[in-house]
Amino acid sequence: MTDLTQTATSSEVQAPQGRLAGQTFARLLQGGLIIVILYFALYALYFYQQPRALSAGSIAALMNNTVPLALAAAGQTFVIISRGFDLSVAGVISVCNVVMAVYPLDGPGGAVMSILMCVAIGGSVGAVNGFLVAYLRLQSIAATLATMIICQGVALVILNAPGGRVADWLSYELTDRLFKTIPISGLFVLAVVLAWLYLRRTSFGISLYAIGADEHAASLSGINVRKVRFFTFVSAGVLYGLAGFMLSAQTATGNPTSGTPLLLLSFAAVALGGTSLAGGKGSLFASVMGAATLMLLQKVLFSSGVSSFYTGVFQGCVLVIAVVFSGLIEKLGERAAKL
Amino acid sequence: MSNDTATLSQTGDTRKAARIKRETVSTIAIAIICVVLLYLSRFISPALGSWSQVETVLILGSFLVVVAFGQGLVILTGGLDLSIPALITLGGVLSTTAVGAGNPDAWYLLPAALLACGFVGFLSAVGVVWLRVPPFIMTMATSIIVASAALGITKGTPRGYAPDAAVALMKSHILGLPSPIVFVIGFVILGWLLQERSPLGRYLYAIGTNAEASRIAGVPVTAMQIFPYVVSAMCAGFAGFMLVGYSSGATLRMGDDYLLPSIAAVVIGGSSILGGQGSFLGTVGGAFLLTILGTIISAIGLEFGLRTIIEGTIILIALLLLREELFNRIRSIRRKA
Repeated sequence: MTDLTQTATSSEVQAPQGRLAGQTFARLLQGGLIIVILYFALYALYFYQQPRALSAGSIAALMNNTVPLALAAAGQTFVIISRGFDLSVAGVISVCNVVMAVYPLDGPGGAVMSILMCVAIGGSVGAVNGFLVAYLRLQSIAATLATMIICQGVALVILNAPGGRVADWLSYELTDRLFKTIPISGLFVLAVVLAWLYLRRTSFGISLYAIGADEHAASLSGINVRKVRFFTFVSAGVLYGLAGFMLSAQTATGNPTSGTPLLLLSFAAVALGGTSLAGGKGSLFASVMGAATLMLLQKVLFSSGVSSFYTGVFQGCVLVIAVVFSGLIEKLGERAAKL
Repeated sequence: MSNDTATLSQTGDTRKAARIKRETVSTIAIAIICVVLLYLSRFISPALGSWSQVETVLILGSFLVVVAFGQGLVILTGGLDLSIPALITLGGVLSTTAVGAGNPDAWYLLPAALLACGFVGFLSAVGVVWLRVPPFIMTMATSIIVASAALGITKGTPRGYAPDAAVALMKSHILGLPSPIVFVIGFVILGWLLQERSPLGRYLYAIGTNAEASRIAGVPVTAMQIFPYVVSAMCAGFAGFMLVGYSSGATLRMGDDYLLPSIAAVVIGGSSILGGQGSFLGTVGGAFLLTILGTIISAIGLEFGLRTIIEGTIILIALLLLREELFNRIRSIRRKA
């Protein structure tokens, strides 16, 4: 045992300099360096088209648009790292949205209640998904497809046509700026990213990557695969709930199908962030940046005068390119790590 | 030694028997449930349970049978086609705008419209097979691209009327039967022959079970992986054509109600969502079962939301019942007994 550990340590110590550099490079790629660069390049283009783009107001507006997708993509990242897909994101967001529009709770206390309600909705849908996938061993696409349909039905039962009104306090305060500069909605995403940075180092975080990379090996090394998988879906659900909460604050109204557009975009954001759809790799921060890039792309297209009818054409193409691109990056990273 | 062979072949036989049972049993079970439901619906509303309801179910179900055939082939090879609604719309929009009632002589544009749909399916297949994009993401992407292109090209409102050929297909009578019923019977027979009685169909089953093994066994895997997406897209386009003939016009959301039912029909029909298992007759049963449930639910006057919940629950129950583990457990109990 000690022998093994020693060999392991010594091989790490003796690793050539180039290899270490390669690994650092690979880690940077995985950590979302590319997507951050891409984002700022796109922002420069946007600034070139619209010189007002750097004002605090338009940054906040962009941030507000981005936050629901960023949170949805963050949740999706959890599931994708564990080698799964979660379609229930669309359903959960719709349910949270209609609940907030039909039962508005005003004031700060109401906001806390609403956020707890959304988290509870997301968490329980996530728990159902987790139970179906981890314990009943259904395929994640199929199980979450079913829960998505059921959630959409529930949303339609609560509110059968767009309407309702989200509490005023929420829709004003959550889209506002702190000290006239920092968008409040951005603080939510910041909190989620910080929580992720902590979580990634806990045993849950490490297990998450392990079961995504090789479920069998993870189970042999003593990870309770079922439990980790279960809580992966629960955490994802909680984040979808938050996304629904923030979306309602942005739109200020209810729509039983409000979550549907976010389904495709959440995958696109994750793929754009370089997270491998095959599981075991990726970063939540990169997905958040991916989401930001997608929303920025919409702005750029709009300010370039492309008809909003055709937004979908671009989104679809970006999704495919992102997935193919993240596959290439992964190969590149592997090659760099081998150098 | 001879003893060993005997036991081996015996276990082989029981396994084979169990497999045959699984697919035929689920198909027959669905057929029985359909008939019983149709009969029982008499007690819910006097308008139901008659021959005319059977006709309505067959006509309304024909669209779903057509799209579910394509969806079934894609699922059989281990994929999933989410682009069906967009392609139904594309098929519908192309047949009203390119041909329509004002241009009935241009009937030859109808096959061209189908080919256009098939080409979109081919593009999805290219993404799945060569670019290695997961099927549901690739088809979701083509779906959103096609839908938004259709939106942009029609500027939000599709014009034109149903082509005469589509109206003739959906609204005339052949030998006293409504023509869509005759058509759907023919379609089911052809689909069954293709999926379950042709070498092509066998290839698809083989790929769905194990693509690598089938490649080694000499199956043209790449071509056989592309084929289902093309067929599925053409089926969806054709369903759009049929819908146009039935409702005399195209809308941009005419396909939306068919995505989830197409998957549900396949899953309820006993196919594994992982591919390699299932039968087209089961899918047909699943499609009609969903249609019957739909007519009953709308007769009761359930709102759309509850209807959606029921649909999702049915899919979930079907998934749970079809779990491989469950079958194995039942089998092992039977063996012990």
